[in-house]
Amino acid sequence: MKGLFKSKPRTPVDVVRQTRENLVYLDLNFGSRGGDAKREEKMAELSKNIRELKSILYGNGESEPVTEACVQLTQEFFRENTLRLLIIHLPKLNLETRKDATQVVANLQRQQVSSKIVASEYLESNKDLLDILILGYENMDIALHYGAMLRECIRHQSIARYVLESEHMKKFFDYIQLPNFDIASDASATFKELLTRHKATVAEFLTNNYDWFFEEFNSRLLSSTNYITKRQAIKLLGDMLLDRSNAAVMMRYVSSKDNLMILMNLLRDSSKNIQIEAFHVFKLFAANKNKPAEVVNILVTNRSKLLRFFAGFKTDKEDEQFEADKEQVIKEISAL
Amino acid sequence: MAGDASGDGGEVKYPLDAESYRLLCKIGSGVSAVVYKAVCLPLGSAVVAIKAIDLERSRANLDDVWREAKAMALLSHRNVLRAHCSFTVGSHLWVVMPFMGAGSLHSILSHGFPDGLPEPCVAVVLKETLRALCYLHEQGRIHRDIKAGNILVDSDGSVKLADFGVSASIYETTPAASSFSGPIHAAPSAALSSSCFNDLAGTPYWMAPEVIHSHVGYGMKADIWSFGITALELAHGRPPLSHLPPSKSMLMRITSRVRLEDAESSTKRKKFSKAFKDMVSSCLCQEPAKRPSAEKLLRHPFFKGCRSRDYLVRNVLAAVPSIEERCKDTNLCGCARGARCVSPCRHVNIVKTRRISGWNFNEENLEFDPTEGTTEKRCFPFHKEDPIELESSNSTGDDNEDRRTVTQGNHEKEAIGFKEVVVPQLMTILESLEMQRGMVMHVLESGGCHVDGNGCGMAASGEREEMLLGYVRQLEHRVEELSTEVQEEMARNARLEKLLQERVNDQLKTNSSQTSGSN
Repeated sequence: MKGLFKSKPRTPVDVVRQTRENLVYLDLNFGSRGGDAKREEKMAELSKNIRELKSILYGNGESEPVTEACVQLTQEFFRENTLRLLIIHLPKLNLETRKDATQVVANLQRQQVSSKIVASEYLESNKDLLDILILGYENMDIALHYGAMLRECIRHQSIARYVLESEHMKKFFDYIQLPNFDIASDASATFKELLTRHKATVAEFLTNNYDWFFEEFNSRLLSSTNYITKRQAIKLLGDMLLDRSNAAVMMRYVSSKDNLMILMNLLRDSSKNIQIEAFHVFKLFAANKNKPAEVVNILVTNRSKLLRFFAGFKTDKEDEQFEADKEQVIKEISAL
Repeated sequence: MAGDASGDGGEVKYPLDAESYRLLCKIGSGVSAVVYKAVCLPLGSAVVAIKAIDLERSRANLDDVWREAKAMALLSHRNVLRAHCSFTVGSHLWVVMPFMGAGSLHSILSHGFPDGLPEPCVAVVLKETLRALCYLHEQGRIHRDIKAGNILVDSDGSVKLADFGVSASIYETTPAASSFSGPIHAAPSAALSSSCFNDLAGTPYWMAPEVIHSHVGYGMKADIWSFGITALELAHGRPPLSHLPPSKSMLMRITSRVRLEDAESSTKRKKFSKAFKDMVSSCLCQEPAKRPSAEKLLRHPFFKGCRSRDYLVRNVLAAVPSIEERCKDTNLCGCARGARCVSPCRHVNIVKTRRISGWNFNEENLEFDPTEGTTEKRCFPFHKEDPIELESSNSTGDDNEDRRTVTQGNHEKEAIGFKEVVVPQLMTILESLEMQRGMVMHVLESGGCHVDGNGCGMAASGEREEMLLGYVRQLEHRVEELSTEVQEEMARNARLEKLLQERVNDQLKTNSSQTSGSN
């Protein structure tokens, strides 16, 4: 058998087929105890095949990837359910093979066949795979692999929309606060990607889901006791609100006195980093030309305190934009 | 399949909360991180090392910290230190790692081998390190901070490479040297390659495959350079040019123009095998493409017949005090408050081993093996670039000492002129900066995040903290001012230097025309 493989170089299609065969074998025989030696052999073969796929897609030290080979590989890969099998059986693979598989899946999301992204089409008709990937955050062993795959999949606008509109979106508020730093941060990165990558889709999502989303965002992330959660959330809030495509959402956000109160509390946070990020959102409240009375009230009541605070508020490094913004805010507040 | 663990739940799960750990003593500190020896209570008081990184103080953004922590969680190789877990405690990130009983090689060198390890021991350490490097490079990762301080040894002699990533991104802006500080051994090209890498790191998930390969391939060769420097560090007890002050940017600039001889290593010259010299000089090629890959280096004759880890235990570990004893030895350590700080300690580094980040290796290499003219020419295109200068300096009858080559004499001349102008002033400024930095560190340690006897609370009585913070800000401000001064000074010196250069050139021209005229 082995001699056979060596004598004739396998085509990309062969490698995909054999990978698939290995996965099918795993699928049928994993529970059974009997054929352990055989299974080991198949596992080793699978690892080798996945590595081979990776080297076709990425090239190896000596050679760059060949477009034609990548196209063939991609076509064959999505012709059948290889992606499904790979995702489902990922937890059974060893660490190195999981990493290879993750890189293969990541790369496939970008491959085009006759100027179409095949992966996107496949995922659109197999959306349950995304559910599996998201739930991966609940399993420490595979969270980082599934997380990386997921972030690649949401590069496709239609897939990002699916995830945004799914029930899973609420789960991210838990995942972000998992005690394990690696996994929480991974979930956080995915969350951020979902809420910043596809501008129009995000604007639509935020508009349609404004109430529950910002309720959760304020109460669970911005008011979290976890330093990292808070710091990442306030940064993300700034990124979202300052994006031109979210202008309407921003106007709504800065017209609420409850939101203002949360932001003012973050300005007094013990962390300088959080203070600075909070300022970038706070300035929007002050700059709003149509401030509701309740917002004006709070700003006026706290005017002297705010001015005193801003007088001593500085960034570590010199930052002209920050200073200019601060001047503007001081002017606005003084003029109220 | 380089990995050993399948990672499917068979491993011990380390708890993810501070209460489960008891900190025993501080075994190392950097600018924004402290490393403790600790026990994990629910796991039968298993001994671990905990690195507490102050996320508030480190300038790196959280995404970088995460990316590196994640990379670390996904690496599995017997020569790579893998974190058990990491979680946040207030604004600190705690990274729980295996405790390596014999500490870092930097610490071993300074506590038992100030003039370097015997060559067979150097070989053992380097070979194990190289295995780690092979694995990392195969994974497409660059360590970026290879040095003795990041090579750890356990009491059984096993060697692990540590601190990739997390340290690289966190300590990039902290020139105050310690084992956890910036890329001290960085190659001359590292400024460029690491910034390339950073640009890429911003969006690694979307990185095109060809980008990964070409750029990482470049950065990997920077690791090989650092590996070469580390080889010299292990052999001599300190990296070459380590008598110079540590400021990174400044020396990068100085060394890119001036070739300084490492006086220290020339006075206490040791004998090394041809294989060793050859191995090191191949790593120190100026041209990254000409440096061997980690894999190729592993097959170098120097690593043939390499001894085992037991050899390391008998010949190295037996000769140095245990980490705990190094902890107690406050004199050696010179740490404030009698803190039980094992070297690499900040003070030792500042006072005794000033380290720098940018090297130019021409002199060192020549001095190292003066007979190998051909290698030198192949490796250092610099010499080829100015043959005219070479000739003219020769014809002026520069009194080249017997050991020195022509080339060296030429640079020496340039160097002295420049040194006189620049170095004393810069030294003064730097020393002042270092002192300030030291003070800031003291204040922070005594007020900010110290560890009290019964647990790990970050003691913070409001007012005192406020006061200290104010003080710290003041000092930081001062440091910034001084930095600006240094910048200005640099600019001024650049101008002076240019003038000097022009004059020297003029003189050379007149000299040579005179010589030819008299002939």
